Amino acid sequence: MTSSLLTRSDWLLLIASVALLPWLYGSFWGSTGGMGEEVHIMVDGRELPPISLSKDQTLTIQGSIGPSVLEVANHGIRFISSPCQGKQCIHSGWHTHAGEFAACLPNRVALLITGRESRYDTFNY
Amino acid sequence: MAADPATRYPGLDDGARPLRRPARALPLLLVLLLFVGGCSREELHHAQLFSFGTLVDISLWGASSTQAEHAERIIQEELQTMHRAWHPWLPGPLTETNRRLQTGSWFDCPPELLPLIMQAKRLYELSDGLFNPAIGKLVALWGFHSDVPPQGPPPEPAAIQQLLNQHPGMDDIAIDGKRLRSRNPAVQLDLGAFAKGYAVDRIIGRLERMGIKNAIINAGGDLRAIGRHGKRPWRIGIRNPRGPGVLASVELSGDESVFTSGDYERFYEYEGKRYHHIIDPRTGHPAAGVTSVTVIHDNAAEADAAATALFVAGPDGWYPVARKLGIKYVMLVDDKGGIHMNPAMAERIRFEITDRPEIIYSKPL
Amino acid sequence: MDKTLVATVEDHRIALLAALAITIHIAESALPTPLPGIKPGLANIITIATLCLYGLRTAAWVLMLRVLAGSLLLGTFLSPTFALSFSGAVAALLVLSVARLTPGLGFGAVGYSLLAAMAHMAGQFTVAYWLFIPHPALLQLFPVLMTAAVLFGLVSGIIVATMLKHFR
Repeated sequence: MTSSLLTRSDWLLLIASVALLPWLYGSFWGSTGGMGEEVHIMVDGRELPPISLSKDQTLTIQGSIGPSVLEVANHGIRFISSPCQGKQCIHSGWHTHAGEFAACLPNRVALLITGRESRYDTFNY
Repeated sequence: MAADPATRYPGLDDGARPLRRPARALPLLLVLLLFVGGCSREELHHAQLFSFGTLVDISLWGASSTQAEHAERIIQEELQTMHRAWHPWLPGPLTETNRRLQTGSWFDCPPELLPLIMQAKRLYELSDGLFNPAIGKLVALWGFHSDVPPQGPPPEPAAIQQLLNQHPGMDDIAIDGKRLRSRNPAVQLDLGAFAKGYAVDRIIGRLERMGIKNAIINAGGDLRAIGRHGKRPWRIGIRNPRGPGVLASVELSGDESVFTSGDYERFYEYEGKRYHHIIDPRTGHPAAGVTSVTVIHDNAAEADAAATALFVAGPDGWYPVARKLGIKYVMLVDDKGGIHMNPAMAERIRFEITDRPEIIYSKPL
Repeated sequence: MDKTLVATVEDHRIALLAALAITIHIAESALPTPLPGIKPGLANIITIATLCLYGLRTAAWVLMLRVLAGSLLLGTFLSPTFALSFSGAVAALLVLSVARLTPGLGFGAVGYSLLAAMAHMAGQFTVAYWLFIPHPALLQLFPVLMTAAVLFGLVSGIIVATMLKHFR
């Protein structure tokens, strides 16, 4: 009926395009389980460029009273040393999920984890 | 008869017919489209403040941007006011009250403290003294009354015993209208296990009066949530008290608080042993046997006090205390990793960890 | 010698088609989009029809004029929106050039329309992601955008093919 509107190549292209779509969904929508993908670090209210959680590394952030050292490993991040007295930041342990936040308040260093899926609105601890 | 298309549309003289003149409906359609395009969507507003000595995380749903910004400013101001008023050791209304309590005479209670003290008394009775904000001296003895955490060593047993022998309790405080008096000079108020919850309740009340119906106020991990996240409930992740990641999740809709007391919040280690800040008023030592207690309850102040009281009560004693306090959902993680819950809590909680821990079910609450 | 600009027949043609494309483009810009980047792309009907009737060069002119004049009229010239529009158009043109100039491929209006729509969307998305919002959440949008591109490309293509059938 409408076959004269589409040439043979048109049909092939159409089929190929439609077949491409499920693959796209598979690749880009792969479930991350709400795990974090990037961490946004804020120093004294100023935001640093986001850092990917997929590459293991150690970061030293200069806060208002000294350097806070953060470790990125296994798609998570934690404070390993900080000049604050209370060390709450270190006690808070590993942060792995999208939406998690942690901070060294005296040093004015805070971090927020973001990811494609945010499985939780917030965290209780 | 229409004019020859070729002359009306110069440039199309190679025989092709011109495209039809757009219908007169097009301008109307344009106007309609522009009108519809002006409608905006509701969305989630998220902000973080440093206040009350901790990180406060605010989520608002369904508020306009101006409303959200206004709310965030108000919240920050209120938190700062309350923090100053209830600060346990920096000079302020609470330190002044503690000084006057030691004299034993009647005095006018600062208005910002009276409702707290009244509610604290009530919760002290209901928890059989396990929630006891009158043991400020004991908390200070352990070194938790300053920004600088204690380094150790722990206090001498004799010093602890001396304070214990004086039995400071909330029942030592008498209230007459707006006036207070303490019959026991050992009474010193430390509202740490309670003030945060109370503050969260105040903030939520403020938001509701502002017309905001869906929000989460999370003060350093303890939170109260009202309404929903748009079409779905709020999803709360309960962090694993020992290790990374999320232990369990729970959904909240309506008006509920989730509070957790843990041995990992404020502590120090001395010679390989951990000393945390939740002091058992009966022994004078940090409460033993428990890693964390999570409570779901309607108001935040009671949830805060209950989480502390149940932590002190321990794996063997929490059930009757929870009943008396009217708490309906409790999850206690003991120091061996075992999880104690009542059936209703087990139904609401969804474990997110791969290996199921040992669960001990209590009777229904 | 006479130095005045003389408009050729082809110039008139391009101007008229471009004007049509711009009008549709502007009308479309008022549509609310469920997600940023999803628009029916009705102006592409003009581009593809032009390609089939008058060839690649005319179509290229019409497309670029539409992007340029459209952005001037909407007030988005040299803005990020313009960068997106422009890169989408360039991507579409490249793909169309290859499709048109490679002998023996045998595409019709629908084929060109599909290629143009997909290339346009992919080009826009690439610029949006790399230059403006390198946020992982944006990646989730990509399959949805490409689905819209295939859908609208198909619909536009069928409209053009039907129109052409009636002209010839």
